[in-house]
Amino acid sequence: MSELFLELFSEEMPPNLQCYVRETLLQNIKNFLDKEQIKYDGYNNCFSTPNRLVIYFKKIEKEAIRASQEFRGPSVKSSEDAINGFINSNNISKNQIYKKKINNEEFYFYKSPKKKIKTASLLQNEIPEIISRIKWKKSMKWGEYNLYWGRPLKSIMALYENKVLKFKLGHLHSKNITFIDKDYEDKTKSFKNYKSYASFFKKSGILINHNERKKYIENKINQISKSKNLKIHLKDKLLEEVTNIVENPNIILCSFNKQFLDIPQEIVTITIENYQKFFPLYDQNNNLTNYFIVVSDSRDIKGFIKKGNESVIDARLSDADYFWKKNRSQNMLKQISELKKINYFNGLGTYYDKSQRLKKLGGHLSDVFLLSKEKIEVASSICKVDLLSDLVNEFPELQGLLGGYFAEVQGFEKEVSTALKEQYLPTGPNSNTPKKNYSVALCLTDKIDTLVGFFGLGMIPSSSKDPYALRRLTIGLVKIIVQNKKNLKLKEIINYSCQLYNDQSKQFDNKIILPKISIFIIDRLKNLMKEKGIRQDIIESSVLEKNIDKLTSIFSKAEKLNKIIDKQLGKDIIENYKRASNILNSEKDKEDSEILGAADPGLFQNQFEKDLYKKINEIKKNFTSISIETDFQAQLFLLASAKKEVSNFFDNVQVNDEDKILKKNRLQLLDMFCKTFDNYINFTKVDTQ
Amino acid sequence: MVSKKKNKIITFQDTILKLQNYWSQKGCIILQPYDMEVGAGTFHPATTLKSLGPKSWKSAYVQPSRRPSDGRYGENPNRLQHYYQFQVIIKPSPDNIKKLFLESLKSIGIEHQDHDIRFVEDDWESPTLGAAGLGWEVWCDGMEITQFTYFQQMAGIQCNPISVELTYGLERVCMFIQQKKNVYDLIWNKEGLLYKDIHLETEKQFSKYNFEIANSENLLKIFEILENEAKNLIVNKLPLPAYDQCLKASHVFNILDARRAISIAQRAEYILRIRELVKGVGEKYLEINS
Repeated sequence: MSELFLELFSEEMPPNLQCYVRETLLQNIKNFLDKEQIKYDGYNNCFSTPNRLVIYFKKIEKEAIRASQEFRGPSVKSSEDAINGFINSNNISKNQIYKKKINNEEFYFYKSPKKKIKTASLLQNEIPEIISRIKWKKSMKWGEYNLYWGRPLKSIMALYENKVLKFKLGHLHSKNITFIDKDYEDKTKSFKNYKSYASFFKKSGILINHNERKKYIENKINQISKSKNLKIHLKDKLLEEVTNIVENPNIILCSFNKQFLDIPQEIVTITIENYQKFFPLYDQNNNLTNYFIVVSDSRDIKGFIKKGNESVIDARLSDADYFWKKNRSQNMLKQISELKKINYFNGLGTYYDKSQRLKKLGGHLSDVFLLSKEKIEVASSICKVDLLSDLVNEFPELQGLLGGYFAEVQGFEKEVSTALKEQYLPTGPNSNTPKKNYSVALCLTDKIDTLVGFFGLGMIPSSSKDPYALRRLTIGLVKIIVQNKKNLKLKEIINYSCQLYNDQSKQFDNKIILPKISIFIIDRLKNLMKEKGIRQDIIESSVLEKNIDKLTSIFSKAEKLNKIIDKQLGKDIIENYKRASNILNSEKDKEDSEILGAADPGLFQNQFEKDLYKKINEIKKNFTSISIETDFQAQLFLLASAKKEVSNFFDNVQVNDEDKILKKNRLQLLDMFCKTFDNYINFTKVDTQ
Repeated sequence: MVSKKKNKIITFQDTILKLQNYWSQKGCIILQPYDMEVGAGTFHPATTLKSLGPKSWKSAYVQPSRRPSDGRYGENPNRLQHYYQFQVIIKPSPDNIKKLFLESLKSIGIEHQDHDIRFVEDDWESPTLGAAGLGWEVWCDGMEITQFTYFQQMAGIQCNPISVELTYGLERVCMFIQQKKNVYDLIWNKEGLLYKDIHLETEKQFSKYNFEIANSENLLKIFEILENEAKNLIVNKLPLPAYDQCLKASHVFNILDARRAISIAQRAEYILRIRELVKGVGEKYLEINS
């Protein structure tokens, strides 16, 4: 067994490309080794620094074994030419073929001997192929070369059994040397194996292994923040990114001018984290401090690096501070009419039009949510005003939030400013949904208005295209309703929203829009249920009606049923139902007239029929009693409790009575039974598993 | 950053001279700024048009650049609606371009070993020019000082061979070298003239013009006229004068943008219109030059 060691040296590769190419390259080489049945064990991995991509397999078998293989040639009856053709194409002589019978016909065969192939020669041929097969998400050309790579590729080092694997990739020839100074590319050095290579770089502080580098940075950051009695809220994504933009990490504690702590905290953290890739520090009470950590790519011998980075943050924050002071004092109410200048979307009017619609829609919701109509109308009217501000222009990701801050400063009520801050929630799959009623109302009206508008324009997402992210928006809508357990007459709200567009002379037909939006919303509900691990058959059964007025109860019922479906309780319910529905279904079609209406108790012949009838009525009554109307758990218990009556009925009563009237009456009884169950969910498609 | 002694400070004009001198020694033709309002050094025909086609090309020049939306009435220490870029364009991109670049920094007093110089991913795109490239913004101790780009596409046409473009933000570079927190405090020459002496009034007046006074209605008309003029010139196989019209139209668009006279939806449409013109220019230019 011997070591395989490759290094691809390029100009600075962006972090996401590094991650992608690391995984792809390692996997492709493994696939190749597996395909060729070349054994490898021990350690293997792919590492990277911004300039170096390294593949390392500790042990690969030096020879690949090709098992003996039998090839079928032409029939013995074939012409001489055909037989010679078989012999020549396998590069063998006539005495190496033999006859064998298959299905009464005789053929010539040839068995190739077991062979050993040098791994080195296989690697030599295949590695350039594997490398050039990488499918870059984004790649480039440079100079006059024809090679494509993430960034200009400068050299290839390829070693196996401590010797160079000689190949060509575009204009580059593989060697056993690489550049050891990443910037000037003046100095080269030859290496024999990965160990000597890694330790050579380690001496100058360069950690080739990115996992090691990440750990090193994390430890150092923690050490420094602890020594200052400060805390760090380490985000793995940022740490990962920083790891991939340095090779020689050096951790520097810096600070910015304290006066900038008066700016909304999100502006400061975005500036520090997103724009500069630094780490902000917090005090023991998790308040942001003016300290931050910079991970530089070299030692700060003269102190220039610290100073430079500090003044960059100061400059950026002073720019933000300038706008913050300017924008926060611009009266939001007075700016509403300026929203007329900003187009919301072609065909949907300006942001002023939108906020006027939101105001009315919010007013409509105020009754349902028991909100002050005035407050929600104010919130709706000013919620888009921050789009006019310089700060949102600078920090578009903070829209909404900044509006909330402006409102706070200008003395709007807390509910209003919070609603503004939270109006775009949830922003992603892991983001929170709003909980406060004013926020919920504003979030919902905004999303409904958007949805109705785009559906009104016929811009309905297709399976592959959703340029305005309406799916994400609608998942948010469903989540907000379901997680806050809101019972909303969504159809009515959508119709009203449509009406509001019509009032602004946008001719949308709610009869066309509503069914389409309903299906779209129900599909998102299904996604959400799937995400929560609810069984597919339960999901399908719960949404048969496509009733968007009942999103919360559909979701809760399915969730509760899913919890017990595999337990005894669940099995009882399904069995009770299936026994009744099976007979009902098989007999239904044979009946001349439809089975309609309730069973007639006067026709009951025995106690078992009466008991079941009584039970059905008991369930029905309880279902509509206020106490358990929304207690789906209790409803399930109630359904399961019919077990005794159902068993007794089927064990003792012949449904298929000769007397057609009695038979029909019994079928009607079973129909009543099933319909009662279907009040919870349509159980037809739910299975016991 | 360099020596603190006053007589040794590298002035704004020294920086330009040193960079010109350096790149001249490396074989670049030193050109003068294009005599028009442009948004960036890239818009100079010595970059846009010369990056098209197979012929080698090496050039460096200063380009005053205008970004009306970035005006701050002279009140912000970092933002200007008029500023200077130093532009280097080399085709084909040489293998040792990183070294050449780092040495150019040395020539203006930024010693590599004393600073944290980073190549931060920045895939550049100019929708109006129909141009795209891959590369980095170069950070020196956290501050972006240069844009480093390998052009892949220009005027909607694939580049072959590939040019490399270096764009130094001269004010940024100088603020770094002279250790100034405010752009207006930059020392322009050895006699101690400051950046504000030259440009503060310009910033005040142009900010007012761009944001408040510019007559949107007229500008919209001018845009139409320029567009038609460009189209006519392309038809008449005069891509160079046609390109001038594109530059003017682009600047008019930028002022309209600063005036917020163009909605988001319209914005895309205007950009597309300019891009179409530039594309026409590029195609005609190649047709004539091949």
